[in-house]
Amino acid sequence: MASRIVEIASTFLCVGFLVLSAGSAGATLRVVASTPDVADMTRQIGGDRVTVETIAAGGQDPHKVPVKPSFVTKLNRADVLVVNGLGLEHAFLPALLEVASNPKILSTGSAYIDASVYVQVLEVPTSQNRAQGELHPLGNPHIGLDPVRGKLMAQAIAEGLERADPAGAAAYQAGLASFQALLDRKIVEWQRLAAPLRGVKAVSYHQDLVYLADRYGLEMVGTIETKPGVPATPGHLEELVNRMKRDQVRLVIREVAYEMPLARTVAERTQARVATVSSLAGGLPGADSYVDFIEANLKALVQAVQGGTSS
Amino acid sequence: MEFHHVRALLHAAPLILLAIPGSAAMEEKDFAAIKAELDATKHELATTRTTLERVERRLDQLEASRAAPAQAPSGPRIAPVNADNPAISFVVDTTLQTDTHGSGWDFALRSGELFISAPIDPFLRGFATLNGSTEDGFDIEEAAVVTTALPWNLTVEGGRFFADVGRLPHWHDEALPFVDRPPSIDRLIGGESQSEGAQITWLAPTEHYIRVTGGLFNTIGAEYNEQLRDEGFDGYRDFSQLTFLVHPETYFDLTDTLNLELGTSFVTVPKHDQRYLYGIDATLRHQPGTSEFYQGLVIGSEWFWNEQKFDDVEVGTDPGTGDPIFADQHAHRNGGYAYLEAFLGRRYSVGIRGDYAEDAFGPANRQRTYSAFATWMPSEFQRLRFQFDQIDAAGEPDNQRFTLQWTAFLGSHSHGFANR
Repeated sequence: MASRIVEIASTFLCVGFLVLSAGSAGATLRVVASTPDVADMTRQIGGDRVTVETIAAGGQDPHKVPVKPSFVTKLNRADVLVVNGLGLEHAFLPALLEVASNPKILSTGSAYIDASVYVQVLEVPTSQNRAQGELHPLGNPHIGLDPVRGKLMAQAIAEGLERADPAGAAAYQAGLASFQALLDRKIVEWQRLAAPLRGVKAVSYHQDLVYLADRYGLEMVGTIETKPGVPATPGHLEELVNRMKRDQVRLVIREVAYEMPLARTVAERTQARVATVSSLAGGLPGADSYVDFIEANLKALVQAVQGGTSS
Repeated sequence: MEFHHVRALLHAAPLILLAIPGSAAMEEKDFAAIKAELDATKHELATTRTTLERVERRLDQLEASRAAPAQAPSGPRIAPVNADNPAISFVVDTTLQTDTHGSGWDFALRSGELFISAPIDPFLRGFATLNGSTEDGFDIEEAAVVTTALPWNLTVEGGRFFADVGRLPHWHDEALPFVDRPPSIDRLIGGESQSEGAQITWLAPTEHYIRVTGGLFNTIGAEYNEQLRDEGFDGYRDFSQLTFLVHPETYFDLTDTLNLELGTSFVTVPKHDQRYLYGIDATLRHQPGTSEFYQGLVIGSEWFWNEQKFDDVEVGTDPGTGDPIFADQHAHRNGGYAYLEAFLGRRYSVGIRGDYAEDAFGPANRQRTYSAFATWMPSEFQRLRFQFDQIDAAGEPDNQRFTLQWTAFLGSHSHGFANR
């Protein structure tokens, strides 16, 4: 029987090595990005020197990304891993890396690029008490919603690509300069586009819009979730509705990964309008790139503030 | 920006000039001088306008960039020291159970489980699970080390741990989708696949997911490990008494939202017990990643075939003496389960399960169990589950069992790949 075991094992080994040898090693840097935001930035910066695959999809809640074995093989073969950082990927990435057999893309490895390293972080908790909800220990991780912070994320990604592929340093610097110039132009446009948002009071479903609010002057007064990651309770909703009425909050922002009916109910009870935004690129139709994602969110918010409903 | 005022003045200038008495009699050269002065003023205003627009753009940029730090901090962002080294979690898993057999009511600590995990050095991580329960008392359920940096996609795990058999046999109780481990796994594997030994896993370096595990153990199954310890097992045994494991598994993305996992398991003790356990597992998942009420579905099934030699089994009675007759006996048994769980909303799921299990002496002692369960997770860190079981065991009256389970997770909490 021992010989049968050896037979089975060796068959699998042979098949594996044959398939491996059939594949050709590409000249480009094989990048796996945890979210569509950092994936698009990496494409913009790396150009033809990189091929980028993404784990989370745009419309998904980052806390609920399925841990698929097909992601393991992508990570196993990756030259570089680019993450948003600040624990945004905690629900899926550690489990995948645990079995990916690729030490260089672990957080201690040379090919691990954390896009958040230069970003000024908001809402860093002063304690790790779970009575406050599912807090991210390093602060609010949804940094990509602010394009100015997006520029700094791009800088961290470019530097990481240079570390992994020094021969391409000039190309990555050029890619970064081009992407940041595009962002600079768009940031000016977006500042004007989002002018109607300044001073507008709003509630969101999850506590993930702090950077967007900080940039464009939205005043976030609460969330539909009781606490971060904790579903709404009837008591909390009653309190939220009363507060919205008292403070004359007229905007409910529903992130596309969260259900619409509850957001609509809250809006109906408070005569507020609902705006649907995404916390990741690719969450709204036609907004797959980072630039389109920021613009789609702002247009949805402005449209809702000016009298329409985006949903 | 007051350009429109200036522009209005410029447009009005000819009219103003015409309105001045005697202007019509101006000399041609005076008119030319005024026109030149007007052109110069226009040019100067255009220059000023360009400058002002440039300043305005710069102001917008500065305002837009106000949150950017003057100088970017350097180095990686690091969690507070010891934040996760070691990662420590504790699970409280309690149940309340009753049935229609008149067994009464039973509050039980199903499991109080302390889990510790940390990297040991750049090449190794370690973990331990210490478990206490009302039924089994205190036990070190797992204490093992795992390599993290071996070449050729190899990983070696050694110590006491749950061997990689099938799908659910190596899940911890609190991670199961039901309140109990399927009876077929209890009967054929002996509870969790707890083992003392070593296993090596190879991940094929291909686009397609193929993972193969091979292992060598004293025995596999929590119940069998307990028996060994109860019998005063001193650790030494003949090589032929060791348990061998081979477990290949693969995975297919059928569509973007539908995927299938397949695995087979082969466990054997080649000589002593002459035990051969074959298993097959399949899991179909629909994961649409939607925010709608219906959020996904899992259909999972495992089936095991087991053939084993038992020593000195009483096989009859000597007609002459009336003494029992003992002989070695080969017993064959099957068992398995299938379940369906639908995820509704962000925090609810409902499911059904069917289980068929034979014991060591085949269909005569089979048990069929039909279950329905519903789960509610008030947050990521606690879960309430109700399960109804209709138990049809050979030779016993049917029994209906009701279980309410309350599980909470303290401290570090992450979902391992094995429990996906």
